[in-house]
Amino acid sequence: MIFNRAMENGNPERESRLDELFLAYRDACPTPEASTNFMPALWARIEAREVNTNWFGRFAKGLVTAALAASVILGLMVSTKSPARNASSAFFNLSFVDAYSADRASSLDPLDIDRISYLETQ
Amino acid sequence: MLVEFELIQKAQQGDAAAFNSIVSAYRRRIMGTISHVIGRPEDVEDVAQEVFIRLYFSLGQLRTPEVFEPWLYRLTVNASYDYLRKSRRRVESRMADLSEQQVMMADAVAGSRAQTDESEKRRVRDTVNELLGNVSEEDRILLTLKEVEGLSLKELEKIYDVNENALKVRLFRARQRVLKKMKDVTGASSLNAKEKEG
Repeated sequence: MIFNRAMENGNPERESRLDELFLAYRDACPTPEASTNFMPALWARIEAREVNTNWFGRFAKGLVTAALAASVILGLMVSTKSPARNASSAFFNLSFVDAYSADRASSLDPLDIDRISYLETQ
Repeated sequence: MLVEFELIQKAQQGDAAAFNSIVSAYRRRIMGTISHVIGRPEDVEDVAQEVFIRLYFSLGQLRTPEVFEPWLYRLTVNASYDYLRKSRRRVESRMADLSEQQVMMADAVAGSRAQTDESEKRRVRDTVNELLGNVSEEDRILLTLKEVEGLSLKELEKIYDVNENALKVRLFRARQRVLKKMKDVTGASSLNAKEKEG
């Protein structure tokens, strides 16, 4: 396989040097012996992470409960009919003509009967 | 398998003694792999502990005994990958903090130390680390598992859960990058030698 790679690459010398280097690297990285503290330290880290996980779990549960309570309260508030809401729903249920005439009527001058009768006599 | 599946099942049910037995059985092998992958003996124990912590918290997901070893290797690969990424960031930020002059001084000191103090093994480790620094962390781990650990393509296939051809292509490209870096380093060192002679 090394030979095949060398032929593909066209530089067998460099290929074999790299293989030798990897072999030397394997020997140059001795497997370190685990210290006597390995297992106690491992369990300490596991327990620390468990505590963190539990804390996060409790926090997430609290958050979900709060969100649920907030949505129930909001739902109740929305479903309760208030006068303002009735007015606004009436506004939204009007047709364009009704809404336009209501708007125009409020901006018109009050009807002056004397002025009308005066104009009719002329 | 270095352990019986019943032992794994006991550990899955929360048996601390069974978990300790699994750790004891695989500790040496895992530490050897990590040592080859990260190339820093001083940090091997720390990364190995991280592997076994991940094993502890994900043991419940294991269903079949056949996949235990590839799965443990995958945890090892992931923990080593996280370590390599973090250490690369640390080196980058450390170097970014230094002024250009300080970097030149640090290089000079490191160079002189390499020539005088460091052992042959250290030199080999540094050389390979430098060469592997030219490929991504994923490729570095893959290349180390194949070339240094001596895992077969079939074993790698199980660990990475990808087909053999994809692995071959990835390995070939990674090796080509390392060879190119090797060529550059060799070229530069021979050029320096010629300059010194001149």
